[in-house]
Amino acid sequence: MVADIFRSLLRRPAGLISAALLGLLYAMALFAPFLSPTTPSAQNLDRTYHPPTALVWQDGHLCVQLYQLVDPSTAAYQPLPDRSVPLRWFSEGPSYKLFGLIPANRHLFTVPDSHPIYLLGSDATGRDVYTRLLYGAGISLSIGLIGVFLTSLLGLTIGGLAGYLGGWPDSLAMRLTEFLMAVPGLYLLLALRAALSSRFPSDATFLLIVVILSALGWAGTARVVRGLVLSLRERPFILAASIIGQRPWTILFRHLLPNTFSYLIVAATLSVPGYILGEAALSFLGLGIQEPASSWGLMLGQAQDIKIFMLNFWWLLTPGAAIILTVIAFNLLGDALRDAVDPRFRLPGK
Amino acid sequence: MHFRTLLLLALVAVTPQACAPKAKEVRPNHPLPRGLDTSRAEPGRRGGVFIDSTPGEPSTFNPLVSEDATSSGFIGLFLDSLVHNNPVTQEVEPGLASRWQIAPDNKTFTFHLRPGVLWSDGHPFTADDVVFTFQAIYDPRFPNRAAFDLSVDGKKFTIEKIDELTVRLTTPEIYAPFLETVGGVGLLPKHELEPAFRDGSLLKAWNVSLAQKEPRRLLATGAFRLRSYQPAERIVFEANPHYWRADAQGVRLPYVDYLVTKLVKDANASTLAFATGQTDAEGLSPDNVAWIDRYASRYGFSVFNRGPSPNTGFIWFNQNPGRDTSGKPFVAPHKLTWFTDRRFRQAISHGIDREGLVRGVLFGRGQPLWGPETPANKKWYNPNVTQYPYNPARSKELLAQAGFQLGPDRKLRDRLGNVVEFTLNTNQENQLRANMATAFKENMRDLGITVNLSFLDFGTLVGKIQDSYDYEAGMLGLTGGGDPAGGISVFSSKGRLHQWYPNQKTPATPWEARIDQLMSDQLHTLDYPTRKKYFDEVQKIMSDETPYIYLVTANAYVGLKDRWKNIRIPPLGSLIWNLDELWTPLLTP
Repeated sequence: MVADIFRSLLRRPAGLISAALLGLLYAMALFAPFLSPTTPSAQNLDRTYHPPTALVWQDGHLCVQLYQLVDPSTAAYQPLPDRSVPLRWFSEGPSYKLFGLIPANRHLFTVPDSHPIYLLGSDATGRDVYTRLLYGAGISLSIGLIGVFLTSLLGLTIGGLAGYLGGWPDSLAMRLTEFLMAVPGLYLLLALRAALSSRFPSDATFLLIVVILSALGWAGTARVVRGLVLSLRERPFILAASIIGQRPWTILFRHLLPNTFSYLIVAATLSVPGYILGEAALSFLGLGIQEPASSWGLMLGQAQDIKIFMLNFWWLLTPGAAIILTVIAFNLLGDALRDAVDPRFRLPGK
Repeated sequence: MHFRTLLLLALVAVTPQACAPKAKEVRPNHPLPRGLDTSRAEPGRRGGVFIDSTPGEPSTFNPLVSEDATSSGFIGLFLDSLVHNNPVTQEVEPGLASRWQIAPDNKTFTFHLRPGVLWSDGHPFTADDVVFTFQAIYDPRFPNRAAFDLSVDGKKFTIEKIDELTVRLTTPEIYAPFLETVGGVGLLPKHELEPAFRDGSLLKAWNVSLAQKEPRRLLATGAFRLRSYQPAERIVFEANPHYWRADAQGVRLPYVDYLVTKLVKDANASTLAFATGQTDAEGLSPDNVAWIDRYASRYGFSVFNRGPSPNTGFIWFNQNPGRDTSGKPFVAPHKLTWFTDRRFRQAISHGIDREGLVRGVLFGRGQPLWGPETPANKKWYNPNVTQYPYNPARSKELLAQAGFQLGPDRKLRDRLGNVVEFTLNTNQENQLRANMATAFKENMRDLGITVNLSFLDFGTLVGKIQDSYDYEAGMLGLTGGGDPAGGISVFSSKGRLHQWYPNQKTPATPWEARIDQLMSDQLHTLDYPTRKKYFDEVQKIMSDETPYIYLVTANAYVGLKDRWKNIRIPPLGSLIWNLDELWTPLLTP
């Protein structure tokens, strides 16, 4: 089945490109410490709101252009003509732990003599936006995956049981989902965050947000899984299974739930953006990830200041572009997957 | 740019007709009072509308109820007081009292009121109004903040009417900031408010609902009287036809016909309204000056540097040795040992790159701060306090003296081997402060100290600082400026705002005892040089002992339309202090 899906995906360029882009993004998040020249908290108060540094080809080397601060009162920088420093490849820099385990200190590129390199400019305290974007990707992207995993698990179990058992467990589960779906999401999120925040140290906020988002998100999945199980239950192959004497649990876990997987894969893919946006919204409101950690929502939240727009510090809005790209990619991938797993829903013209 | 211009045009198209009150209303020409005050400013021309904006909404127009700066600002426009505090010279000037005498005992003050001054309804202003105001303030039925300010050690001042135009105020002890305090008391009209005083409803009088229905009933002695108030839209004041000041040519002030204040959602909206030419004046934060300057020529305004602001920012450690109800200490004992060690605090202070903060975070528009007063408070600022310039080497030296050692893992440990780590709490609403907190964390890492940041909403933070005391370090700001008497709750060890260890029964340290003594001494003499000497020593002790580790002070800026003449911008307080003398040769904005 997986091979079928993959083959079918190959025939859909939009889906394929999205999958490749997402793969790239996740790889970048995973290798963030290696790909970035510095650490996300390293500041340089002499280089705040630095524009993105240009890269030039000089004497057979890729070099970074040097700038000087011409007017500190407006954070205006000008490139120094003919002053550039060659990049060092696979050089030593600040030490880190790859995947949180392997100690290392090699970076893809660094600049000698602590000359600044800001591929995407610097922020209010002179931190590298590119580095923070990469580290932030780790948080923003994994929140989506972990959240969807938790939701699918909860939705599958509760929805499957409700649909298969029927009766009062069904009613109980469905009333609960209705309750969760009736409560306005953002307010519940804010209330839960306020109620739980004092019990978590600030570095556990990450986990807290995932738990909150999943606790809200499983209701929809559970209802659809229940519906699917209800209709599958009456199919001949289930009847056959029960006639040959298989136990109810075996029927549920061997025959019913696997048949909902194709739906789940699509639903999960399509709901990842919801989690990414949810985290972004919470952090944007100052209730999510907190300084000095970084996430796309937090970075975007810090960019909502009129001076950022009026002085045209556009590079501080790149986390927004990253969020848009990711969300679009997930949606396109979800569409392609849906076509692949369920030929009946195929859109005309494809 | 085009979009912004369009947006502006759209706004302009909707508002101005609604804003400008109907033209061709002639100001009544009442005779000038005998006790007229003649302005020394350049004579100008009458007319024009002065527009500004404020984030937020007045909560009341009753000076006995007002607790917030927005309401008090509006009340100050129409209710005048016996004397004025000139914020430019920081001297006391005549107000509704044209002169006063201080008896040799330094406790008895006789005020002579201006003859012939009328309330805005034409009723004469007399000594009865002054006595009535003080009665209302001291009446226990009407609890209010002024009653607290107008007392020494809990004892009230006494007030007597000598004749129709003379009152005598007596303080129970010598009270240094007496004139400044009296300068802040807006006098109430007895003939209008006495019924409410009698039936006990005085605190309900002059509320926002009356201001909307019958604005003229808010009687004025100031330059302006209320004309209309529309919540969330605007407040319009008009010239008080009975105002007691005139210019050298005998033209009654104020020159401007109307004062319109737009009520906007937040500080960003207020700033943007000014930057797009919709308002005449605006206080600007240093990080916004850079881009606002670009619109100066298009909309015909200038940005003035008021110099250092009176706002201080600081970090402090919780030095409270107490325990909570379950017997758990507020601060872990080994951390309390660090926090109460002066060398530790000084080392932290030397480790902060204040110049960098000014350069990077404040765009170079500010300066490092070393003591509790900023240079804005010209009258009381002590420039000779101990300074802690950025010097990590000196920090390490001090830490070594105090028994701290840097381990091979680049982590600082105390004598007992505890890793030096603490959590800094600050409020999340303030972006500049958040930037400073992250910069502080980086500075401390260079010393081997781990700082965890915790961003709380302001209410939670204040709860921790003032009630539960369960925190290690905090970062906040206070607005300084003005008389030292205003700082008693911060400096005195009994004070509620003595944040590192508030509400002490007896001073915990000899230097806190010394500050208590100095703060009490300065309050009980009227002699400025003596008071200044005492307060200078308070500032010196604060910088030596560094219970507050002061950070930086930003410069304050005012943007003002060029069409206004006779501008006088004070270094502290309101944007323009002589609104009654402002005039413009260009009547149409």
